[in-house]
Amino acid sequence: MKPEHLYRLIFALIVAGGLALRLPRLELRPMHGDEAVHAVKFETLWQTGDYVYDPHEYHGPVLYYATFPFVWLSGAQSLAELDEQTLRVGPALFGAGIIALLLLLLDGLGWRVVLATAALTAVSPIMTFYSRYYIQEMLLAFFALLVICAGWRYWQTGNPGWALLGGVGVGLMHATKETSIISLGCMAAALGVVAVWQRRSGTKERAGEEPEKGIEGSRDRGIKKNVVVWGDLVVAAGVAILVSVLFYSAFFRHWRGPLDSVLTYATYFERAGGHGLHDHPWYYYLQMLGFTHLARGPWWSEGLILGLALAGIGVAVTGAGLSDQPRRLGLVRFIAVYAVLMTVVYSVIPYKTPWCAVQFVQPLIMLAGLGAVGIISWVKPWPAKAVAAVILLAGAAHLGWQAQRANFRFFVDYRNPYVYAHPLGDVKYLSAYLEKLADVHPDGYRMLVKVIAEDAWPLPWYLRGFERVGYWEAPPAELDAPVVIVAGDLAASLPAGFENDYEISFYGLRPDIQLVTYVERELWQEFARRQEHLAPGPVRERE
Amino acid sequence: MSATLIVAAVLSLADDGAPGAAGAQGEVAKESKAAGDLVPLNIKLPKPAFRGTPKHVPPGTNLEEPRKGPRPPFMAAKGAVNVAAGKPVTSSDSEPIIGSIKLVTDGDNSADEGSYVELGPGLQWVQIDLKEKAEIWAILVWHYHANARVYHDVVVQIADDPDFITNVRTLFNNDHDNSSGLGLGRDKEYWETYEGKLIEGKAAVARYVRLYSKGSTADDQNHYIEVEVYARPAK
Repeated sequence: MKPEHLYRLIFALIVAGGLALRLPRLELRPMHGDEAVHAVKFETLWQTGDYVYDPHEYHGPVLYYATFPFVWLSGAQSLAELDEQTLRVGPALFGAGIIALLLLLLDGLGWRVVLATAALTAVSPIMTFYSRYYIQEMLLAFFALLVICAGWRYWQTGNPGWALLGGVGVGLMHATKETSIISLGCMAAALGVVAVWQRRSGTKERAGEEPEKGIEGSRDRGIKKNVVVWGDLVVAAGVAILVSVLFYSAFFRHWRGPLDSVLTYATYFERAGGHGLHDHPWYYYLQMLGFTHLARGPWWSEGLILGLALAGIGVAVTGAGLSDQPRRLGLVRFIAVYAVLMTVVYSVIPYKTPWCAVQFVQPLIMLAGLGAVGIISWVKPWPAKAVAAVILLAGAAHLGWQAQRANFRFFVDYRNPYVYAHPLGDVKYLSAYLEKLADVHPDGYRMLVKVIAEDAWPLPWYLRGFERVGYWEAPPAELDAPVVIVAGDLAASLPAGFENDYEISFYGLRPDIQLVTYVERELWQEFARRQEHLAPGPVRERE
Repeated sequence: MSATLIVAAVLSLADDGAPGAAGAQGEVAKESKAAGDLVPLNIKLPKPAFRGTPKHVPPGTNLEEPRKGPRPPFMAAKGAVNVAAGKPVTSSDSEPIIGSIKLVTDGDNSADEGSYVELGPGLQWVQIDLKEKAEIWAILVWHYHANARVYHDVVVQIADDPDFITNVRTLFNNDHDNSSGLGLGRDKEYWETYEGKLIEGKAAVARYVRLYSKGSTADDQNHYIEVEVYARPAK
């Protein structure tokens, strides 16, 4: 088999492995509150055909539009018919798509770096975990890499089509999440740094390749490599704006949307500045990725990626280790500077949630891929090379093992560093309980349910099949209903004696936050009678 | 007595098992002709390990009220001892997250680090093979008592075969919504304390004991510090 064919086969296997960690059992983890919010936002767009951007919350609309193909394929007609898998499959495919995109950098990084990067992306616990989340992160990371790839291909080929694709990518980034400005800013800064770096170091491209030529004013000399034509940039920028405006205006319905998509940064800059619930010290992400052991039980580390990324910086600085690969040192240095800048910026911003780290982990993994190949190249004796390769493969396998455990065993475990402000599995049992009650209530799913809690998410997702559900932040004057669900800290504010007519049980919403569930006694007795006629079913063992 | 001991004693649980302990003892004595003289069970309790109970527990829930004072002595047939000590244990989770399944019957019921086994999320069970049929008077279970928590869907069954097909009897079930599929439970949920949960065996004869649970108010995992089965050889 030719090496090229072998590399392609390995790459295909890596993509398959990445999908195997991302697609199966997407329903396993209970819906996070944020996922539930996005599901409801999607429903509004789906059922009304309309979208209005909220500059204070929820981010851009691309996630919702990207959900449509999977909803159409599912045949669902309403939110009640939607399931977790249908919503999460999109981000999962974008997560795997990040691996596939690396092929566009093949002539810049070479097969070995691409394969190493692809393998680390496929098995990285954080990259797999948040690929299974119905949130914007994986889409944003995908589009950011798309912009880098398109930019590289444009630089390599001079084909204006790549510039257009880059413009589309920028527009989609902006329409996905406001934090795209960080990625775009770091890309621009990295380009500037690398341009200066390359000039000062006097780096020459490999023999036979054209030297870098910089920017030209027009395309009157035809398509050329290593030339940026102003016209192409202008068109790309126009496309980026058009794409962003399309989404934020809900396809020209609401012109306030595009304006708000810019004004929103006042909100986000304030939020990023700190003094909020999600403020963490600068080392939060690095500590989380480096080593997490919150209590007895599993420990977690993506330290291999951090360590290899440091080696990747060495490759970028010295250029050593890439002699047997087709390469462009400029691209390598761009990746290094971009990854470092992203890591620094995300670390400096006080507002931190674990999923935000995806944006800088993705370029860090590219840097780690460079570092892995660099290390093997630096080690000279063949036995030592073999040992280094085996160690790196073992490290990657360990990452994959952690990813498997994070996604399929510790998916709601507080010791998993990526489980953050997450509901307990109890929410699923509460949902199942209410469905059984609806089965015996004369009104069925029109049974009235009242929910009293300051933050009830993700309950709206789990109660989506009920047609009459009301939400209050404090007990309403008219409290009676067949089912009343009250947050534990508000239960004391219910009228004295209210509990006398109800059968009461409680479910965990989040650790130490309970939902007290009041079910009218008559309804519960009918439910109990029905249950007693059911023979005990088979006990499901842990899968 | 230290403050910790006082608080834990005050917060120890009330009734154990579905019927009141004292009343049930009388019933058991009548039902079991083989019982002979009843004597208090000799239970060695661990040290209390936490103060207080979780906040925001409203009245009238399916949760036992905290009891003032220690649990009254439990009367059992003379000769009933912990026959589970050192007996083989199996589990629905072949790969415990923490500890070994052997800890369930190792004789250590303290809340110390290293004294418990942690099983995965969702419905899980542990099963004890008493090696021979025994007349069971009480089953004591400590899931985890290093802090205040309530385990859900606690179901205790006994049977004559390891697959729980033959002569299966349910001694305790607080699965109030039948979400575990073992039948609707009428028993109440309860706070974990150093006293453990005492479940009456009613002198039932069985070789296998299985205990189910489905996460707790603290997290979705299932923990077992110790299970003691007070019984005497079946006649």
